[in-house]
Amino acid sequence: MKKLLLAAIMAVVITGCSSNSSYVKVVDDSMKDDISIEKINERVNSESGLKELQVLGENETNKYMKLRYRVVWFDKDGFEIKSIGQNWTELPVYKNADFSIHIVAPNKAAVDYRLFINK
Amino acid sequence: MKHVTKIALSAILAVGVMSGCADKTERIDIHNDKGDQVMGLDYRDFNQAAGEAVQSMLMSGAVDKKNGDRYVLAISRITNDTMQHIDTDQLIKKIRVELLKSGKVVVTTAVGANGPEDKMSKQARELRKDDEFNQNTVQKKGTMSAPDLSLSGKILQRNVAMDDGKQQVEYYFMLSLTEIKTGLAWWEGETIIGKRGSGKSVSW
Repeated sequence: MKKLLLAAIMAVVITGCSSNSSYVKVVDDSMKDDISIEKINERVNSESGLKELQVLGENETNKYMKLRYRVVWFDKDGFEIKSIGQNWTELPVYKNADFSIHIVAPNKAAVDYRLFINK
Repeated sequence: MKHVTKIALSAILAVGVMSGCADKTERIDIHNDKGDQVMGLDYRDFNQAAGEAVQSMLMSGAVDKKNGDRYVLAISRITNDTMQHIDTDQLIKKIRVELLKSGKVVVTTAVGANGPEDKMSKQARELRKDDEFNQNTVQKKGTMSAPDLSLSGKILQRNVAMDDGKQQVEYYFMLSLTEIKTGLAWWEGETIIGKRGSGKSVSW
């Protein structure tokens, strides 16, 4: 019983410690077979101190698509940081080709993000 | 009685027709506006142009001051070379707000290509001559910050008549960020927005 309680406490502590709640989400289910997210790269630019995000994906269909994306940034405490990146930005995606989204954080406080990709 | 019923019916019919004709005004959801495009420039175009400019500026490193301090930016001339009545602040204000939020740039309103945006910085200093004001509360000489950088640009429109009678309108948002000390452009950006529609559409 003691072991079980300890394990439960550890699980809560570990979950509580992991602050990274960033993710990339394809909003429209109908697109899930059409595009794939291959890789997500993150770095903090040493010159600017701003976090950068690069999402690499692929258009697996035989047709050109015009997608849109928007990103919402959060500070280390999970508070949303308003920025112009919250508006939908158009993204041309050529048929059977890779695509990339490169975004820079609005300021140094922005550490977590939620990137939404839609039609 | 028949006459009264007739009048009442006509009145109800008229009200119905009139309310059916009246176009209802709707508020746009600016966060997810899938409304039809217009040949002129609307807020979606300004959002796109400003968003691209800010992202490009922050990525370029042009606004990264070595000691982590902020650059002072002056807004220079932004020319509206389109056929539309545009207040170029529709573009520039968005860029200013984002750059200020980035913590890398602060904009001076005391210096501008067309004179100061806010004349009060200078006017408040004229109180130095006024004995009615506590001179300890009046700003001292040499306290204002001169700009390090200048943002200038142009919004250009080009109309192209298509063979099928349609019209193509191209808008170019061209911006430059100049270091005032050297006069060199540290960053330059261009966003092109093209629209194609009826030749009868008016784009001004």
